[in-house]
Amino acid sequence: MLIDTVIFLPFVTALAVLCVPRRFSTAHKAIAFAGSAVTLLLSLTFLWLGRRTAADQTVPWITSGWVAAYHVRVDDLRLFFVLLTTLVSAACVWAAFSYAHAERLRGYLALILSFETTLLGLFTAADLLLFYIYWDLMLIPVFLLLTGFSGTQAARRAAWSYLIYNGAGGLVLLLGIIALVARTHSFEPAAGTALPATLEWWVFAAFAIAFLIKTPAFPFHSWMPPTYTHAPPPVVALVSGVQSKAGLFAMLAFGLPLFGRAAHAWAPVLLVLAVASVLYGALTAMGEQDMKTLVAFSSLSHLGLVWLALFAFDITSVSAGILMLISHGLIAAVLFLLLGFIEERVGTRDLAQFGGLCGVAPRLNVLMLIAIMAALGLPGLSGFAGEFLILIGTWQTQPVYTSIALVSVVLASVYMLKLFQGSMHGPLRIPAGRQAGELRIREGWLVAPLLAAIVFLGVWPGWLNDRTPNVAGATHNVAGANSFAPTTHNVARANSFAPTTHNVARANSFARTVAGANSFAPDLLNLAKASPRVGQP
Amino acid sequence: MTSIAGVSISWAVLAPIVALTAGGLLIMIVDLVSRQASKAVLYGIGIVSCIASFVALLPLYGHATTTLAGAFASDRFSWLFDAVLLLTLAITLLLSSLRNAEDGTSPGSYAALLVFCTIGGMVMAGADNLIIIFLGIEQLSLALYVLAGTGFPREASQEAALKYVLLGSLASGFLIFGSALLYGSAGSVQLTALASAAASGGALFFAGFALFLVGIAFKLALAPFHTWVPDVYEGSPLAVTGYMAVAVKAAALAIVARIVYTVFGHDSAALVPLWILAILSMLVGNLGAIRQRNLKRLLGYSSIAQAGYMVVAFAGVGAAGLSALLFYLVAYALTSLGAFGVMALLGNGTDAYAELDAYRGLSWRRPWPAAAMSLFFFSLAGIPATAGFYGKVLLLEQGLSAGPWGVALAATLVAGTIVSFYVYGKVVWDIYSHVEDERKLPTGNALAPWLAVAAGAAGTIVFGLAPQIFHFLTG
Repeated sequence: MLIDTVIFLPFVTALAVLCVPRRFSTAHKAIAFAGSAVTLLLSLTFLWLGRRTAADQTVPWITSGWVAAYHVRVDDLRLFFVLLTTLVSAACVWAAFSYAHAERLRGYLALILSFETTLLGLFTAADLLLFYIYWDLMLIPVFLLLTGFSGTQAARRAAWSYLIYNGAGGLVLLLGIIALVARTHSFEPAAGTALPATLEWWVFAAFAIAFLIKTPAFPFHSWMPPTYTHAPPPVVALVSGVQSKAGLFAMLAFGLPLFGRAAHAWAPVLLVLAVASVLYGALTAMGEQDMKTLVAFSSLSHLGLVWLALFAFDITSVSAGILMLISHGLIAAVLFLLLGFIEERVGTRDLAQFGGLCGVAPRLNVLMLIAIMAALGLPGLSGFAGEFLILIGTWQTQPVYTSIALVSVVLASVYMLKLFQGSMHGPLRIPAGRQAGELRIREGWLVAPLLAAIVFLGVWPGWLNDRTPNVAGATHNVAGANSFAPTTHNVARANSFAPTTHNVARANSFARTVAGANSFAPDLLNLAKASPRVGQP
Repeated sequence: MTSIAGVSISWAVLAPIVALTAGGLLIMIVDLVSRQASKAVLYGIGIVSCIASFVALLPLYGHATTTLAGAFASDRFSWLFDAVLLLTLAITLLLSSLRNAEDGTSPGSYAALLVFCTIGGMVMAGADNLIIIFLGIEQLSLALYVLAGTGFPREASQEAALKYVLLGSLASGFLIFGSALLYGSAGSVQLTALASAAASGGALFFAGFALFLVGIAFKLALAPFHTWVPDVYEGSPLAVTGYMAVAVKAAALAIVARIVYTVFGHDSAALVPLWILAILSMLVGNLGAIRQRNLKRLLGYSSIAQAGYMVVAFAGVGAAGLSALLFYLVAYALTSLGAFGVMALLGNGTDAYAELDAYRGLSWRRPWPAAAMSLFFFSLAGIPATAGFYGKVLLLEQGLSAGPWGVALAATLVAGTIVSFYVYGKVVWDIYSHVEDERKLPTGNALAPWLAVAAGAAGTIVFGLAPQIFHFLTG
């Protein structure tokens, strides 16, 4: 019941906003803000509830021909994605106040809130049909926000690449799901169902293509730069902060547990694509003058690292991947919101046409600095924790790819500092007729919680890493499950810079055995049984 | 139960058709006797006879039987097609109520023709032998040729009628020639007898089936026998186009389905030509729709593609395949009629809102019709939480659980759907575009089309979210 409330409250709020006549824009703002804030507060209760009683609910839905259920769940994997969604959405709804044309504000807020519902539905769905419904339904609010509420011709064109590319990915996923269901006659994923190897190979390929497009990863990223560049800031903060996690989340929740063998068979291809994304994203970002496109390509690079983490099949790296996903979600959301505030003031995104804002806007400068430092991986902020643990993990099984990917860490400093210096430092330059001003109080407050979360996860990454292991108890998620259990405790410590690295190393020697083995899931089960010692310092 | 020349006739089974015939005749008599009879009375009689026919259908539910010595069947299959046809007729009559005198035809003959057309469709839905099939097709087609021309002050309407007659007659020729060869090979016009002829094969049988398939593919508008569709759809009066898109398709599909399930097994090699036609239709329909700026033409191309989708259901086995077909047909009928309803609503029964340009920025002027139109186009594209989506899931499952041809059909369905995202997205894009329309076309707000739109929208959402209801209703 609580889960349903959290999922559908934003949508109900959207309907409520639509019911208020157009001229009462203050009422629209109040309702929308209250709705998203209450959703955030309710979702926080999962932190306590989810640990004791697995929040899990099933209602029969379709029983003729095949079985599908309205099955939602908040387990330790899903919990953090739900929290990320509610936190970023609340900030985005608040940020939306300053962007929309007053008379269109109603539809704008309603669509953002509907988008939040589809995202929450996606992250809680435990049934493949339900999951797919939200997966595709997400396209509509973003498509409409781009066509109707962005106001620029470029954004309306970007709507097409977004819709067609993601729609095509969705249909490939649907083909994969149905090929699976035509055999199992159930949309309830059951790990360990013996599928013929060829079918499993094809179905996993379909899943992987859809997830690669959604994330996106090289070479499926061509929809991303126009969408990220031209979408209104609150929309792009949601798309890049939250929606881009859908593919990797689904890989963790469905792809890896269901198709362990096929995942191994496909890993060489996916690793190459991951490293290609990491490098291509970083190199392109370095050459970009448009600040939103620059951050868009940095996203490609950072999420490529998570693909690398998942398909290195190392226990440390997989669990660090989750940390990285959440961390990137927060950082990307903050960056895009701040860039939106800057664009609103200086009227351009071109780094050559403005700069030196730190003098006139010190508050903006501080917030930008924290976000940029987090993005380039400064220790003590969440970006570092994720990157560092991923690279430690992947080094154990994929040293070659890891060394190539390491280059991107250096490149990240280059393009992120270029963005910061270009926009903030130097003499004040702004296009004629523009008034560069300080952040409004509201704008400062709305990014503050996101920045606080970034600092919190940077200082105490174990808070998140300690919780993810319990994925094991709550789900049949084999890959997510037993893999994390014995070691994350150590990882968390390693993370907080205590000298316990030899624990990590020991954990990783087990990881090597896993990675060497042919079949992913069963070996992880053995591992879980064999390695309780490792947990003890 | 009466008996003529040794053939027993079960009037209960024929009651739905009889009720509708009586309604059609009554319309003609009223129109004849009272020249002043208003549209409301005439169309009202039509709608009442629809309801009467539906009520007569209810007692048949659950008792499959045949009459006229096995020539006419009443089963799960015909009930559902009949229900779709009656719904289409009722909605078409509602939409037609906005027609004005300057459209040409008198409302009496127009309404009567629609009713007789539907009778032809119902005969097709129950037809279990080649003669009855031809009878139904001709009854439907002849009435429809006239209806296509009922907008005759407009030249496009005359052109549509002429094209439809010429090409339609040619197709009928193929159909009757094919039937003759089939009769020659089987020695009987009964479909059950054809099954044994199909099993033993023979050149005569396959030649006959090939010609028959050409004729029926024309009626169903499968590529490459679809060339009449865009012009006829564009030229015909709005309500008639909506009727064509749904009723004709449903009736022709009923015949294909009965032949596939009675005469062939689902994996018969003889059906390969049908699969190829379906693949071509999905591609031609969706690719052809890309450049259309006229919604009637666009929906015409769309109906070609949708017919191709529905054929995918035949790749599957028996009852599950039939369920998938029926679900998709109902979903298609609801969305298609709903879309024509919105056009009629906004244009007040005229073609003013058939051009896509008229929809620019509609959402700012008329948010509710705009939302309804978007819903229908989302459903046609198969976006989740609409009936069209679940229909596609069922069709894909049929394709993927069959052999290599089934997989090819499913893959083409997906490819076609990706293209259709652009086609249908284009309409939504215009509706929600951030563009103020300079011309500010006036929009209508009449009650009758609103009923059609509401029915379509409600059905699309309910069957999309709770498809179980459909399975419950159809058993």
